[in-house]
Amino acid sequence: MRDVIIIGAGGGGPVVAKELAAQGLDVLVLEAGPRHAKPREQWTSFENDANNPLSGYFRLGPTDRSEPAWFREWSQNSFVWQLSGVGGTTQHFYGNYPRAYPGVFNDYDKADRNEYDVNHRFPFSYAEMVPYFEWVEATAPVMTAAMGTKEAVFFRGCETLGLPVQTTKTTLAPSYRPQENAILQPGGNAGRTSDRNLLNYPDATGCTFCGYCFQGCMRPVGAPRNQFAKRSTDNSYVPMALTADVWAPAGRPVDLLTDAYVTRIHTERRAGALTATGVTWRDNASGEERREDAKVVVMAGGCTENPRLWFNSGLPNPNDWVGRGYTDHFFDWVIGSFDEYTGNPKGVGSSARLDFPPYGGLENVGLPPALNAFSTTLSDSGIRGQYGNGRGPTGPWDGPAGRVMGPELKELVAGGLDRLLSVLVITDDDVEPDNRVVTSALPADENGPIPKVTFQHRARTARTTRNREFMARKAAELLRGAGAKKVFRIDWAPLILHVQSSMRMGESERDSVLDSGAEARAVRGLFIADNSALANSLGGPNPTLTTQALATRTAEKIFERYFGGDPWVRGGSPVVSTDPRISARLGELGL
Amino acid sequence: MSNSTAAVGRRAFLARLGLLGAAVGVGGLLPRSALAPPAAAAQNDVLPGLVDLLRPVLAELARDTLNGLSVFALPGPDPYSAAQGTPSDTPGAMEAGTTDFLIDALDNFVPFPDQLAKPIGAALATGLADTGIELPGTELLPAELGTLDKALRALLESDATLPLSFPIAGMLNLLATQVNPLAVNGAFLSPFARLSYAEKARAFQLLEGPDSDLVALLDVRFPEPLKNSVSGLLKFVGGALIEFASFGSYTEYAVFDARNKQLTARPVGWELTGYQPDGPVEGWDEFIGYYQGRTEVRD
Repeated sequence: MRDVIIIGAGGGGPVVAKELAAQGLDVLVLEAGPRHAKPREQWTSFENDANNPLSGYFRLGPTDRSEPAWFREWSQNSFVWQLSGVGGTTQHFYGNYPRAYPGVFNDYDKADRNEYDVNHRFPFSYAEMVPYFEWVEATAPVMTAAMGTKEAVFFRGCETLGLPVQTTKTTLAPSYRPQENAILQPGGNAGRTSDRNLLNYPDATGCTFCGYCFQGCMRPVGAPRNQFAKRSTDNSYVPMALTADVWAPAGRPVDLLTDAYVTRIHTERRAGALTATGVTWRDNASGEERREDAKVVVMAGGCTENPRLWFNSGLPNPNDWVGRGYTDHFFDWVIGSFDEYTGNPKGVGSSARLDFPPYGGLENVGLPPALNAFSTTLSDSGIRGQYGNGRGPTGPWDGPAGRVMGPELKELVAGGLDRLLSVLVITDDDVEPDNRVVTSALPADENGPIPKVTFQHRARTARTTRNREFMARKAAELLRGAGAKKVFRIDWAPLILHVQSSMRMGESERDSVLDSGAEARAVRGLFIADNSALANSLGGPNPTLTTQALATRTAEKIFERYFGGDPWVRGGSPVVSTDPRISARLGELGL
Repeated sequence: MSNSTAAVGRRAFLARLGLLGAAVGVGGLLPRSALAPPAAAAQNDVLPGLVDLLRPVLAELARDTLNGLSVFALPGPDPYSAAQGTPSDTPGAMEAGTTDFLIDALDNFVPFPDQLAKPIGAALATGLADTGIELPGTELLPAELGTLDKALRALLESDATLPLSFPIAGMLNLLATQVNPLAVNGAFLSPFARLSYAEKARAFQLLEGPDSDLVALLDVRFPEPLKNSVSGLLKFVGGALIEFASFGSYTEYAVFDARNKQLTARPVGWELTGYQPDGPVEGWDEFIGYYQGRTEVRD
């Protein structure tokens, strides 16, 4: 009998694991995918080896890469970028840690309060969240991002838009700024040389500007795992959870099992209430099934997998909101072609942003060649110059939106990737019940019926559609302002990569799965601690910080409700994840 | 429908799939004599042999079709790019190994449930697609056609896993001949590979469109709720083929030594884009400071 079993070691699960391990609880973490404990042996920095969604080391599948990936049904032209493995999608993220906009919390009373997704606000105040933001920002740690040329070009564009620079953590109004990111900023030789002989730790510390965020961070060479530049949870929270005994006075290290696919959550009725009692998982390699019981079960398998596990476990769904309200920031992609060097794709994937509450935001993005090609060909508007698939919007970009592919793409990149700069359009999108996960009618896999992800992307709400169009125009204006000679809008088909709110917490029990403490309304002792627990799409900011802050708060709720403990965040001070005691213990553990 | 109408429709369908031409057209891969109708008593003995002969024909047809798709994503100095009217002096998908990339993915890694692949294959095997289009092309005796048809059905209905590249290729060829019926004959094995760039785009327009005839055609073969799923999947496949072919064309796939995790040559995509001129790096001298000198913010 464990105290707590956590399902999933992605962006959220390891946060609860680390926090409760520090309180001395007996925590088991079950991860369905691989553990990349030796990235220098297991990874390269090549795009197909890393990012091929079928066979790459960053895919949704078991450790054994000769086995197929796990099939998921998407009933539209879309791409749901799930990753299995310790670190989850933080393995390929860019480490951006902006705070959610205050306008998405239930105490917001500024003049524009009705411009947000007011029917799906967080069931508590922004002020209540701030200590948890600060706790995570200190733990990760979060810093102001350094600039490369691609940031300087982006800022040059921002400077033409008549917006101020944001110099606070909290976004108060439309503004632009360097990212606040969970990247260790360049130190020593890092960022100052391309000579690999000079880039070994500790001569180089923090980000070396290699440009390989999306292929996994294992730099600088020779650094302890918890000193790699990018604070994906495999570099930050997981090392802390595994070494809790050395940095927390009453700490107890967690047990982490990988290739352990949870197929069922068990429940029983206790004192009249349906209560979670444990889980069954299946070992990917042997097929063997195991079961353990726990006082508390935490789901953190992601926005697509949590609903599946819920359905496959036969858990109740009284208001029919399990899997509904999936938000994705309804991304779009705008790319500019310059006559000058842009620094693409060097440095952190994105180190600059523009926030525009209550519409959404923009980020500059650097991409290597194949991901660039993917990004210019994922479109709901056909092929530029050939067909528009019923869309092909026009605006301050060149020609109709649509795929830049084939000969046109070849010509675009012929000037060099480092003459391009891309902007990710991030939409403040509404929670909508018909954007959802259901059980697929297609055949089950070895772990049970599979999930189907449905997005009604051509029928989003008027506010969501307005926001996306507004931000796409801003992106084009920004690139023009920065000096782009040509600007292309792709009109992306749904690229479901910022995922939120499919198991949402909410103010009303009519349209939420979780109460304000992230505990399931229908099952006692069952909590959710990843992006799916978020109440909404945060207004557009990248979700990781808010998810981790919420997961920290959820860890306190678990400790208070089920273990009679006291909260620690308001009165405590966090240990930073780069702490040398963690490095030393990782060394002893051979990690 | 009379038997003769069915036979004409069937001949048209096999021609549109590309199979008729690939098997017995000019440059076809199957000896015409193999299709000589056996005496009824011997049919059960002959058919398995023909199925074995047919298997590599389907594989070659799929490869040829995917060549046509690859150069659609990244044209280069090859005959397929020339045929689609976009010749190029610099390397393209054929040099980047994109066709192998696609076949490898489709046949070995796409976790497409066999329970679904088989009905789709069966839909291709049984589809009539009598569009009333006059199809010039290979003259086959009805009996020879019948033998070929039986062999295809036997192959698609056998227990062996169907390589996904074949139904994908069949789909592209069906679309190709809908766009341009004359594509049933010509250079290459695949009707799709014979299309111009604009015609290929038109084929994808049909696949991506909300009222794709092909989707409707294939859906007929599935009961609900699978019917709706297959319709959605085909729309997904339409986008994914373009995106995946484009992604693959610019990766290191063709020159990656998986055992040593190193490159054996410079990838085409890197050459075309100027990416990493001196190969993989540990870092770049790209740090230029902090915006407005600010290294920290607080509320």
